[in-house]
Amino acid sequence: MKKIDARGLACPGPVLQTKAALDTENCAQICVQIDNEASRQNVQRFLESQGFAVTTRQDGSDINVIGSRDTVATALEAAPASDTATHKIAVMCATDRMGSGDDDLGAKLMINFIRTLKEIGPDLWRLILVNNGVKLAIEGAPVLDDLKALEADGVTILVCGTCLDHFNLLDKKQVGQTTNMLDVVTSLQLADKTIHV
Amino acid sequence: MLVGLKKADDAGVYKINDDLALIQTVDFFTPIVDDPFQFGQIAAANALSDVYAMGGIPKTAMNLVGFPLKRMDLSILRQILEGGIAKLKEADVALIGGHSVEDTELKYGLSVTGFVHPDHVLTKGRLIAGDYLILTKPLGSGIINTAIKGGLAGGPIIAQITELMARLNKQAAAIMAAYPVHACTDVTGFGLLGHMAEMIIGSGQGAQLWMDDIPIIDEAIAYAKMGLIPAGAYHNKQFRQAMVSCAESIDPVLVDVLFDPQTSGGLLIAVDQQQARALLSDLRQNQVADAAIIGRVTPEFPEKIKIVNRSDT
Repeated sequence: MKKIDARGLACPGPVLQTKAALDTENCAQICVQIDNEASRQNVQRFLESQGFAVTTRQDGSDINVIGSRDTVATALEAAPASDTATHKIAVMCATDRMGSGDDDLGAKLMINFIRTLKEIGPDLWRLILVNNGVKLAIEGAPVLDDLKALEADGVTILVCGTCLDHFNLLDKKQVGQTTNMLDVVTSLQLADKTIHV
Repeated sequence: MLVGLKKADDAGVYKINDDLALIQTVDFFTPIVDDPFQFGQIAAANALSDVYAMGGIPKTAMNLVGFPLKRMDLSILRQILEGGIAKLKEADVALIGGHSVEDTELKYGLSVTGFVHPDHVLTKGRLIAGDYLILTKPLGSGIINTAIKGGLAGGPIIAQITELMARLNKQAAAIMAAYPVHACTDVTGFGLLGHMAEMIIGSGQGAQLWMDDIPIIDEAIAYAKMGLIPAGAYHNKQFRQAMVSCAESIDPVLVDVLFDPQTSGGLLIAVDQQQARALLSDLRQNQVADAAIIGRVTPEFPEKIKIVNRSDT
């Protein structure tokens, strides 16, 4: 049985420690040692949300929260997502030109690519623009209307704030939400499929 | 002095003459979001809220800053102060000074001064039997901040909760001024039930809350079920548990959400029952879209809070 000593930690410390342990090792039995009632309730709730049957045992001033589950394959992906689409595709554009070779051709291809993205349909979840890609979202960009149409259709467009700032384009952005690397990484993590251009 | 230290309230009130009373309050805390500008906005919205909760209008403010100069770049402080100023502007409040000290950890907040007519001061404790209770922002910011700290919350919910915490109670306060409101407070560190308890203590009244009508951010319930409830919620619960009872049909985790400490939460308003619907629709149509009637004041069980499902009543 996996054992975790989370005594002396305030909430949500014991839950995070338990989660970290389950993330690295998909165990069937786990015992979390804690020393306060708040932690007992939280750890019990967490383990139950991960498919464990939970019992607790008082041991002096310590409490052992013991969880067991039948199948180790129980999904750990219990973090609630605010997006409930069954299939989420994230498209990450790090350029305003498609491919290498001829830059003029690359620019045309990129316009065509953005225009055609809508064909993905409702699975298209997020469009992430970084580096030169942010230039697709600024005033005068040829695909501005297409991006606005995608946004109106419910596609979230994330535009890298650091990149806009780097190119001095912060006040030129016309579409999408200015975003940070945490959002970018989270999007790539939550997406069921990512397409990188 | 109209409101002082005798009974816990949101701010102190001092009568200057028959037409004018001074409201004073101070609030500061350590960062709750990563973005310094947004932290400044939230701290200012939170400090201003106490004046709104007293039925007053904030007029001037002073910054309070603790800053670790050796570890952090001054540009961070500038962004925090700019965030605070942005909210003061939105509230039509003049920044007239401040004080900073070098500190081991970052702290920011404001001392806010406002005015109110001495006859229109809204304290916590003047509930009248039959009053309806209105809450103007959804609950869950403490739990979601806990999930963010634990690395479990994604970008969209972070943005949502940040906007909610930075939202002023100005509009809600301005609207309620036209209605027969008997008592008001803002929901902050003690959670909804903690602040509800403060309102009913000494009033001779009790409160019936309708669980299914209380606005709660969906993700907060999901995170609470995963055990991401901050220690503060349990402290609040331990402190007030004896006053609270709950219908058996209600999931205990929801009661914990009602104890969740809020940062810059909404106003909790007790209003004459006859006017409650009108106030609610006025709020909802004027940018306080999350407002809801969440319960009623009753003499049936003095100084107790009973939580039921409205569908069961």
